[in-house]
Amino acid sequence: MSVGADEPRVVAEGVSKWFGPLVAVSDVSFDIGPGVTALLGPNGVGKSTMLRMLCGLARPSKGTVRLLGRDPRADAGVSRLVGLMPQQESVFESLTAREFVRLTAVLHGLPDADAAASGALERMGLDPSDTRRLPTYSKGMRQRVKVAQAIVHEPTVLVLDEPLTGLDPRQRADMITLFQGLGAEGRCVIVSSHVLGEVERLGSRILVMSQGRLAAAGDFRELRALMDDRPMRVRVRSDRPRQLAGALLERGLAVGARVDGDELLELDTTDARNLSRALAPVARERDARLYEVLALDADLEGVFRYLVER
Amino acid sequence: MSTIASTARPRTTASLLALTRLLLRSQVTLARLLGIAGLGALSVLLGLFSRGDENPADAAAEVIATYGLGILLPLATLWLGTSVIGDLVDDRLLVYLWLKPLSRWVLPAAAIIATFGVVAPLTALPLAATALVAGSSDVALSAFGAATLGALAYTGLFVAAGIWFRRAVWYGLAFVLLWENALAYAAEGSARFTVSEWARSILETAPGVDVEGGARSALAAFIVLPAVAVAGWLVATWRYGRADVD
Repeated sequence: MSVGADEPRVVAEGVSKWFGPLVAVSDVSFDIGPGVTALLGPNGVGKSTMLRMLCGLARPSKGTVRLLGRDPRADAGVSRLVGLMPQQESVFESLTAREFVRLTAVLHGLPDADAAASGALERMGLDPSDTRRLPTYSKGMRQRVKVAQAIVHEPTVLVLDEPLTGLDPRQRADMITLFQGLGAEGRCVIVSSHVLGEVERLGSRILVMSQGRLAAAGDFRELRALMDDRPMRVRVRSDRPRQLAGALLERGLAVGARVDGDELLELDTTDARNLSRALAPVARERDARLYEVLALDADLEGVFRYLVER
Repeated sequence: MSTIASTARPRTTASLLALTRLLLRSQVTLARLLGIAGLGALSVLLGLFSRGDENPADAAAEVIATYGLGILLPLATLWLGTSVIGDLVDDRLLVYLWLKPLSRWVLPAAAIIATFGVVAPLTALPLAATALVAGSSDVALSAFGAATLGALAYTGLFVAAGIWFRRAVWYGLAFVLLWENALAYAAEGSARFTVSEWARSILETAPGVDVEGGARSALAAFIVLPAVAVAGWLVATWRYGRADVD
């Protein structure tokens, strides 16, 4: 089977998945073409469930998934074109890395499973002749073995669930380069992550998931700008909070301020970057001492909450 | 790159062998082998005690029917059969096997081959040895046949249970102890729905042997027991194809 270069490889339409009363994924629609696409969201928002449905491992409660135009749940043949690296750490404890990857090659019907397994392991910087069993490997090495088994049959669609977890910075950089290379070859590479910085380095198209829903989709730079411009709340402790609040409101650096007691000041701002630059000069100007400056919702959850609620 | 295509097609036999090897290596641990071999050794020991009986053939057949076919065989098969795929589910390893371009029947078939391949020799040989040490060589062949076909039927049932239920070993234990060995014999005719009844019918083909609960046709048993295994395999395949894989 072949697929045109610009055709969507993966299409989800109105996909929902619930487990009893728990809604894991709610009415998600998107299409993904060739290249790297990141599925970003905090832990527990339904990313893995979504990826499982994309691969056919789980049946959507509602909606449809198409992989290369076929139903991955009903058509076992489509899995010939898919490689999956699951999130779970477990691997076959009785096997070596080579045996594990070779097994995948055999089950995919590759004519020379040994050569394919060796090639995939070498591509991941692992020694195919290593006779140690998988449980003796470090977490980072096991992650790379899992990627090797996902790419051994040269899949058209590669689904990687949190592949960068457990890797050191150099391995992480190598892995990102590999994903970008696979994407540049025209493969559809879907990478899930809960770390904004990782996704930034992938420099890819992003799908943001929050609370089971698709919160945003687009180019990373657009989303980054959106995230930077979102309203933020900043807590400042100072010996002159009222004078500081007046000066910042006057200059338009804060859109709201609450003073609590003799030291505490909470500021609402839509321009966090300029506020952070101006805060110290303004304090000096008003002869105020700054004891603490803390962004109250700068964590990833806050970013996602904003994207969902905007 | 305008198009990317992967055209390799898995060979079913090669895949079946690879999966069987994997399941054997993953599931057949030394502890399990020693446990089953220990249960088998106990049967041989009981056979030794039967030597002094007035009718050693009947005594040996009784040991084989009650302990061998009623306890050893189902428990050994339960131990391996429910875990062969059940452990893959519990350990979240099934994902590596499900997402492959293979017919859904291949993995349950590999599980049955792997389980039967271990359980049959570890149960049929000790039961045949039980008859031999009791001095009833006539019973040995029928004991071997009864255990082999009984193991096949139980394997199909317990592999299916391992795919269907979490903690299938407990359901299986209740099935063996409550149904196969007790409740099925409480009502007239209900014993025909047990594996052990059909296996005992094969045991009764030995000359001069009359064991409790072996009233079925031995010829029918040669059809019924493999049919139970096939039914278990079909149910396992159906369930495997429809299950959400974690």
